[in-house]
Amino acid sequence: MGPTAYIARRLAYGVILLIGVLVLNFFLIHAAPGDPAETIAGAMGGATARMLADIRSAYGLDKPLLTQLAIYLGRVAHGDLGMSYYFNQPVIDLIAARVGPTILLVLAAQVIAITAGVAMGVFAARKPSGPLSAFVAVLSTVGYAAPVFWTGIMLVILFASIIPIFPVEGMTSARFSGGFVAHIGDVLYHLALPAFTLAIIFLAQYSRLSRASMIDVLGADYVRTARAKGLSETKVVFKHALRNAVLPIITVAGIQFGNLISGALLVESVFNWPGMGRLAFDSVLRRDYPTLLGILFFAALMVVVANLLTDLSYRFADPRIRTGGR
Amino acid sequence: MNVGTPEPLLSIRGLKVEFSTRHGKVTALDGIDLDLMPGETLGVVGESGCGKSITALATMGLIPDPPGRIAGGHVLFDGEDITRADPRRLRSLRGADISMIFQEPMTSLNPVFTAGDQIAEAIMLHQSAGKAEADRMAVELLRTVGIPEPERRSRSYPHELSGGMRQRVMIAMAISCRPRILIADEPTTALDVTVQAQIFDLMRDIQRQFSVAIMLITHDMGAIAEMADRVAVMYAGRIVEKGTADEILDHPLHPYTRGLIGCIPVLGKEAGEEGRMPPLAEIPGIVPPLHLLGRGCAFADRCPLAFDRCRAESPALEGGAHKVACFAAEMEAA
Ligand SMILES: Nc1ncnc2c1ncn2[C@@H]1O[C@H](COP(=O)(O)OP(=O)(O)OP(=O)(O)O)[C@@H](O)[C@H]1O
Ligand code: SF4
Ligand SMILES: [Mg+2]
Repeated sequence: MGPTAYIARRLAYGVILLIGVLVLNFFLIHAAPGDPAETIAGAMGGATARMLADIRSAYGLDKPLLTQLAIYLGRVAHGDLGMSYYFNQPVIDLIAARVGPTILLVLAAQVIAITAGVAMGVFAARKPSGPLSAFVAVLSTVGYAAPVFWTGIMLVILFASIIPIFPVEGMTSARFSGGFVAHIGDVLYHLALPAFTLAIIFLAQYSRLSRASMIDVLGADYVRTARAKGLSETKVVFKHALRNAVLPIITVAGIQFGNLISGALLVESVFNWPGMGRLAFDSVLRRDYPTLLGILFFAALMVVVANLLTDLSYRFADPRIRTGGR
Repeated sequence: MNVGTPEPLLSIRGLKVEFSTRHGKVTALDGIDLDLMPGETLGVVGESGCGKSITALATMGLIPDPPGRIAGGHVLFDGEDITRADPRRLRSLRGADISMIFQEPMTSLNPVFTAGDQIAEAIMLHQSAGKAEADRMAVELLRTVGIPEPERRSRSYPHELSGGMRQRVMIAMAISCRPRILIADEPTTALDVTVQAQIFDLMRDIQRQFSVAIMLITHDMGAIAEMADRVAVMYAGRIVEKGTADEILDHPLHPYTRGLIGCIPVLGKEAGEEGRMPPLAEIPGIVPPLHLLGRGCAFADRCPLAFDRCRAESPALEGGAHKVACFAAEMEAA
């Protein structure tokens, strides 16, 4: 299968998956207790029967469920995710204002986790019973066991009061003056703790996985061939072995994207990072269904895109897949 | 090289290799002596686990350490002791002066690089050629080893090639820098019979063309008969018989060699009434695990000729051009 056909097929799967997510989300929300009309009326201050009816017809809540679904899907197809019950603004605008910081956080965490994890795994694999290997084992246990919000709060305490070198709140400094480059620096400075918090669980996994993968690959026949050629140990490890050892990491990185995004929503709440997480949390409390649906849809969209990119990079990294072999 | 008696290109003396295992320290090679003359083919034959690959790896300076360790002896390449060479010197020998092809063509090539790149890599490393030059030479080498459409095949990944083709690629890589020694560790074991014959033909061609000395490791006496000038028979980390291929095949002295060839004297029968024996895999019994080796002859438990002395002491490799390590053979000769 050529790359174009392959991408087309993956895209089609992605679209089908997203529609599935939309339908499921829609029914889940409508199965939840509480009348959205009353919520909206409550937000507007007081509710008469007349007002409730008006609200129902204005938001289409009086129509049969399937009709509501059809209307919803049709609108989403046109980029319209509805109006927020609470903010009385288009959901798409609310999300658009917050999706950037979330993506920044997720990508930063993923890059930290993969780079640091793989580096630790590779060096640990060189000495499978050395101290770094032991550290990787401890780190992965702690990383698995500690919940994100706990790690986050610990880091907040550590950096807020014990060693205050990183900001623990927000994305930019309140009173900030400076040029564009300085602004980017400021954002990265604020990004450090949330990204590290989010990265740490995944870093634990990647280091453990790449250690195992690397030990495996270092015993492979083609590594022996590389040595028999007279290559230096650096070339053997970082060219011949690592290129193969990262293959399972790419797969896992793709699978972990969904977890990374849900983790990001939590981390955002802890560090007051202005992404979709805070909005999601508030929307649940306010029963702001359109906003919640929109956020879930966007999260699914991000996962689908991430998986597509993962697939493409795997195809790039492994010729056996690219050229249709075993 | 002097006229008259040629100096051996490779000379292994008293080589001893130990491994630390969970059974403690085991001796995988116990005093190996081997000579490889320029341009000849030396067959090294023996059952699985007897130490053939370890001998080859020691010659390449590639014993995995840990768990392995060269505990004694020397490996002299052109007079230079490889067991004492520093890592940098070893790397400059490997793939350039001494190269090796392996038993497992399916897994010996790196799956993520093309055949051409893997050959070119060795050329760039040892011959200070640029990438374009090395690529061109890689294609020529693929042609030399009989791969059809070498330009296209040089861009193929290993999984796109058959086992026989992969082994040809390995051979191309091994001869890319005109080595003086080619170690072939069971190069055809994983291939089917017709392909085996083709690979042996190719190796003979290459030997003529490049006048390379070949150490052919095998457990197949047929391959020895076809390829080898001289033969060393190994058992449990030692050489038990050594001589010219003709001598060993026509007049095997060690009961184990006779077993390998498929004619072994059956105990209790008159001399000359030797029955045809089952092939190698069916020499009764198994190679004893290294950690259970006692003081006597390692073959005693499987040997139809074993007697008291065999369990008490270990026979030394003795004789002139045709050497054997066996008490029964010694008495026969006396
Ligand atoms: N990494 C290792 N750790 C411990 N022992 C080893 C190791 N490699 C080899 N040995 C020991 O050395 C002995 C010889 O191994 P070697 O690989 O040379 O056998 P071989 O003759 O090549 O057998 P085969 O025909 O199966 O390839 C084995 O019996 C094994 O016990
Ligand atoms: S020394 Fe004894 S046991 Fe060993 S091969 Fe000869 S006869 Fe058999
Ligand atoms: Mg072997």
